[in-house]
Amino acid sequence: MKGFDLFALFANPEFVTMLWSGVKLTLVVALASWLLAMTLAVVLLAVRLTPSALARRAVQAYVSYHRNVPTLVQLMLWYFGIASLLPGALQGWLAEHNAEAVFAVIGLGLCQAAYFSEDLRSGLRAVPAGQAEAARALGHGYLGALRHVLMPQAVRNAMPALVNHTVSLFKNSSLAMAIGVAELTHAVKEIENQSFRTFETYLIATLLYLGFSLLIMAGGTLLERRSRIAGAR
Amino acid sequence: MGSVIDIVRDNWLLLLIGQYPNGPLGGIACTLILSVLGIVLAFPLSVLLALARISPWRWLSWPATALIYVARGVPLLMLILWVYFLVPLLIGHNVSGFVTMLVTLVLYEGAYLAEVVRAGIEALPKGQMEASRALGHSYLGAMRRVILPQALFNMLPSMLSQFVSTIKETTLGYVINVPELTFAANQINNRLLTQPFQVFFILAVIYFVVCWTLTWAATQLERRIEAKRAGTAAGRAAGRAPVATPTLAAEP
Amino acid sequence: MITFNQVNKWYGEYRALSDINAEVKRGEVVVVCGPSGSGKSTLIRTVNRLEEIKSGQVTIDGHDIHAPMSSAQLNRMRSRIGFVFQSFNLFPHLSALENVMLSPIHVAGVRRAEARDKAMKLLDRVGLAAKAGSYPGQLSGGQQQRVAIARALAMEPPAMLFDEPTSALDPEMVGEVLAVMRSLAADGMTMMCVTHEMNFAREVADRVWFMDAGCILESSDPEAFFRHAQHPRAQRFLSDLRSH
Repeated sequence: MKGFDLFALFANPEFVTMLWSGVKLTLVVALASWLLAMTLAVVLLAVRLTPSALARRAVQAYVSYHRNVPTLVQLMLWYFGIASLLPGALQGWLAEHNAEAVFAVIGLGLCQAAYFSEDLRSGLRAVPAGQAEAARALGHGYLGALRHVLMPQAVRNAMPALVNHTVSLFKNSSLAMAIGVAELTHAVKEIENQSFRTFETYLIATLLYLGFSLLIMAGGTLLERRSRIAGAR
Repeated sequence: MGSVIDIVRDNWLLLLIGQYPNGPLGGIACTLILSVLGIVLAFPLSVLLALARISPWRWLSWPATALIYVARGVPLLMLILWVYFLVPLLIGHNVSGFVTMLVTLVLYEGAYLAEVVRAGIEALPKGQMEASRALGHSYLGAMRRVILPQALFNMLPSMLSQFVSTIKETTLGYVINVPELTFAANQINNRLLTQPFQVFFILAVIYFVVCWTLTWAATQLERRIEAKRAGTAAGRAAGRAPVATPTLAAEP
Repeated sequence: MITFNQVNKWYGEYRALSDINAEVKRGEVVVVCGPSGSGKSTLIRTVNRLEEIKSGQVTIDGHDIHAPMSSAQLNRMRSRIGFVFQSFNLFPHLSALENVMLSPIHVAGVRRAEARDKAMKLLDRVGLAAKAGSYPGQLSGGQQQRVAIARALAMEPPAMLFDEPTSALDPEMVGEVLAVMRSLAADGMTMMCVTHEMNFAREVADRVWFMDAGCILESSDPEAFFRHAQHPRAQRFLSDLRSH
């Protein structure tokens, strides 16, 4: 075993490039799936609030599926399973345009949307019933009440859970490695295979992941503090 | 759809117990054993970590908190790689993927369960500890005889849902060739090659059934506990609202 | 202005409102009192349809609010009646000024600057101009309720409904809210108040309705009611009140 030598790793430009690409791809995948998840979560919530019992059950089924099936299996189903059902031309196009990353983003985004929508829903349920009544008594319509009175409070209620799940989403980006996305964990394994400097490589990657996770958590705390309603308990 | 039935019929044994007896125990059996062992061994660790975290001695609480934050901030996959690398170094010879996965799960779930236990302890009224101390119990004695029994009982539903998370986490064993269910499914897919969607569909369904049933059981348990806590018919009605569970859910 | 015509509401065997026939004339102040469970809150909440009825009509200026109508029409009718809740229900994420401004802007379509001006005037009227930038969590109960009154007044309704406006307040804050209500009455506002504040009723009300078990058992002017209530249950209610 060669001695612990962090700089030997950094001195090699090839490894640095691989590491850097890995980091970039992790961030891109995480951000893209977060955006997809948030947008979809709002849609799911909106559908759930409609009076249609069928719509509500559909959303419940969606959430239930994504919470009970392991994320890795979901990714495999997308990349190995559903991809094979697509028309040939589309498969070809995808293969040339980072199919793995695309399916990783879709898989992770759809999965986290379930969690985000449940967080928002809990946040909404925590808003006292009197708020909706007051809004209706003043003449606000359903959408107006939601937009000006209920959702601002619901989002504030849901923030701790949303931040937690954002950290989960970020960590889940490492699962994409199993379907061939060259993100950070994948890069780590590649570098390890080539340099045998396992400890140093793992350490750097761990510190990077930890750093970003803590950054997200700190950002979340900051956001919570700034949006805190003055005088609230 | 007919092909789904065929695949299940031809491969159900592989999915159930892997290649045993021609290989190690695999499939669903391996998944469940790994999960049960993982959570059972993680449990005492989690109690210790939780107690350390809330202890008034900084030399204990700071490292414990740091450990928990590290487990929260690092992907499970990364942790698996670490354990796979370090354990053979520490004990001098190679270990199987199964053992590696088990150790990882114990550490990971230990940290997450520690937060669950901590929430359970902190949810109890302060009067419980005060009354115990007033009666002369030491801090640890009060913990052991009064606080922990109540906290752990109340947190049973949360722990059951952490067990479900553990089952989902075992799928990562695939990456280090642990012969659990996902690995078995991939073996089938690599053999058949022409029906990937059906194979992974079956895989998803199996996990869904197992996890959904356990989650349902956890909800039922939650209601019973709520009713027991309130102690009256009103409590049973109140039991429809879920117990405050920590938002920290481990879910790869 | 507000009329109840054969209004009935029941759940299974339980009658919440029985054959209510009554009227609040324009400019009148009506106080509704009675023991708890008598249906007085239910009655006042039928006026802006926060409670549904099984039969009868509740009309505001001749329009039955319980007739089938689109939600847009209902919202319009609701915006023309002010409602003050027992638990204030101020929007905690908005300042006092924003609470008052919100609905004129988004429901009545008033321009922002104009809404702000009117809101400041209203806050001044209820004595809280200095607290315009404060949030509900920073205000006392009495202050919150006064903001709630200003919020309802911002929609310039011809009539105001008060559902036990001081019941959730600490005693020392009841006075400031009643003072606002008195000044509104003095300005000629049509008001319907569910309240236990009998002094307020004596001084300000034009009529007192006594309710029990879903019926209006007695309807008379305050002096007559407080000196010689006719109905035995009303007499019992008043003597219970006095013995505190």
